[in-house]
Amino acid sequence: MSTNPLIKIEDLHTFFYSKAKQAFIRAVDGISMEVPRGKTLGIVGESGSGKSITMMSVLGLISAGPGVIRGKVIYDNGRIKKNLLQGLDDFVDLQEHDGTIMQVDKDLYGWQQHSEQLMKNIRGNEISIIFQNPKAAFNPFTVIGEQIAEMVLLHTRINDPVAAKAKALYWLERVKMDAPEVRYYNYPGALSGGMAQRAMVAMALASEPALLIADEPTTGLDATIQAKVLQLLAEIKADLGITIMIISHDIGVISSLSDYVAVMYGGTVLEYGSAKDVLSTAYEKKHPYAKALLASIPGLENIEKNGARLKAIKGEVLDTIRVVEGCKFASRCDCMTDSVKHKCNTQQPPLEDIGGGHKIRCWLYQ
Amino acid sequence: MADNILEVSDLKKHFVVRKGIFPGMSEKQNIPAVDGISFSIKKGETLGLVGESGCGKTTTGKAIMGLNDITSGAITFNGNQIANLTAKEFKPYRKDIQMIFQDLDAALNPKMQIGDLIKEAVVVHDPGLSKEEIQQKVLKLLDLVNLKKSQISNYPTELSGGEKRRVGLARTLAMEPKFIVADEPTSALDVSIQAQVVNLLLDLQQKLDLTFLFISHDLPLVELVSHNVGVMYLGKIVEMGPSAKVAKQPRHPYTAILWSSIVGGDTSRGLKEDARSTADWQVYDHSSTSRGCKFAPRCPVFAAKAEPSECSSVMPVLSDAGDGHLVACHFPLNN
Repeated sequence: MSTNPLIKIEDLHTFFYSKAKQAFIRAVDGISMEVPRGKTLGIVGESGSGKSITMMSVLGLISAGPGVIRGKVIYDNGRIKKNLLQGLDDFVDLQEHDGTIMQVDKDLYGWQQHSEQLMKNIRGNEISIIFQNPKAAFNPFTVIGEQIAEMVLLHTRINDPVAAKAKALYWLERVKMDAPEVRYYNYPGALSGGMAQRAMVAMALASEPALLIADEPTTGLDATIQAKVLQLLAEIKADLGITIMIISHDIGVISSLSDYVAVMYGGTVLEYGSAKDVLSTAYEKKHPYAKALLASIPGLENIEKNGARLKAIKGEVLDTIRVVEGCKFASRCDCMTDSVKHKCNTQQPPLEDIGGGHKIRCWLYQ
Repeated sequence: MADNILEVSDLKKHFVVRKGIFPGMSEKQNIPAVDGISFSIKKGETLGLVGESGCGKTTTGKAIMGLNDITSGAITFNGNQIANLTAKEFKPYRKDIQMIFQDLDAALNPKMQIGDLIKEAVVVHDPGLSKEEIQQKVLKLLDLVNLKKSQISNYPTELSGGEKRRVGLARTLAMEPKFIVADEPTSALDVSIQAQVVNLLLDLQQKLDLTFLFISHDLPLVELVSHNVGVMYLGKIVEMGPSAKVAKQPRHPYTAILWSSIVGGDTSRGLKEDARSTADWQVYDHSSTSRGCKFAPRCPVFAAKAEPSECSSVMPVLSDAGDGHLVACHFPLNN
């Protein structure tokens, strides 16, 4: 078995165009990250940081223009190795001025046709997704069991409907659904939030993927149910050795599952490293944003006495329409020293390895 | 007590839903959304209400606001009975009791500018003001909630979540309320923005001597902002007391489970890891006809003690152990 990462994203750019503002929305603005095989990568960030768009770009699910315009997504499971964005550049004509993209001309139809070709046998077979709202992801007019069996028929070698049903029941049991034989015939509307999410996990696993992407898998669930769903994902990860990419705004959720964590802000990765380093307040070397984010959670260590205040980050979450010359976090940063101030405001820092694979995009650590 | 601004005693709100589509043939089902809760809030303090979805937190807030008629019980505000009043009768209290809503986008008219939205509230509060006075008051309110003067001509869609929350707050404060029901005021916000808004609420409480009923599902947040915390489960308060006590030494098994469910948090509060496994249940099941403790089917203590008969036949009463820490459980935890 090779030690290559299962999926490697290099310099991914996904833009949208806002007619009202006459400007590009730089949803994903140069992202590089990798997910080692059998490990879990957590992507954490506030709303608008580009977490979900990164996931959708990887899966070729962006339909609005200009969409994905540049970058590489290398998928390598040992048998298949390919760039999921191979050759898509040919359909995009970039007009740049001083390194800033001024105009994008894109053959959307051709791009999509080509993208579908590339994604064939990858999306579904190799990569599965768990969406945030499980009830919206299921077809409301078909019982959940049949929907899971359909996944088995489509994406595995099983062609026999009876065997597919047996397999669907196996997955329902696997995700600890109570009375799988009864639940098989339930419509999505009859399930509670937690059960629907379990069924969603069963459906995602039914295609026996190598990579499972979970986009905000527990948002909207009660705390006790959330803990159960996370426990289930952790068990599945241990049992099946599956690679997971988990996306959430909730640092608690990320910390409970991840081996590696990427902290995103304004369409870029500001910090990447092992979960225990990135999410620990004790670890010294940290991006100012990650540091402030950890401090702003009303977590246990932040509460000392009544009347205490939270440590807030000043300002608002970055507007992705604005083209920022320097560091994306500069306008909200508290840690800027006089010696780097000029650089922070004029030049975007590179994502630099500060040792042991821990990468930080900040001039303070250059 | 004289310094209690709000007293709620044995508040009940039962909703009646009909099953079936034909009016004559349908079966009525009684949903006890709030089922006999009592609490009081002192002036200038905050009571936090926590619980999972469907436990009756919001219904309680709405009953206090006079948005819902109540089935039985009493709500006393500054010594006056305010439950089940008509809109006209409630009017004198409307200014004093205000609410911050959960859904920012639904609460602000998208076709009005920020200045006009706040002006509207100012004019309603005091129709006799001159134009200059109104303008001054609007600017004062903007300053109070840390919004910029330049944002006065923006529309709600041009603002971020945190700014919209501030506009809502400015409208609320225009009424010069004494009591504010804050229903999940930060649930739609990012954590860094949530921290700003929470700090603002705490500052305003000090500055204006406000009293809050803070409704949220986020336990650590409630612990931070509240003087007292009430934990609700299926329409009942199962534990209530000073926030530090409820947080640090939970006595009801449900509170302990809630604490242990916080991911990335401290799991050492009263219950062990394996106790979580019993908590996988549909939360809002009002259909149970059991006369005993409503939490018994999910309760790890109930299971560990081999299902004692008290739990399944006698409803535990909220009782004080002597230190202002109330718990409704036959076998409270000793932490």
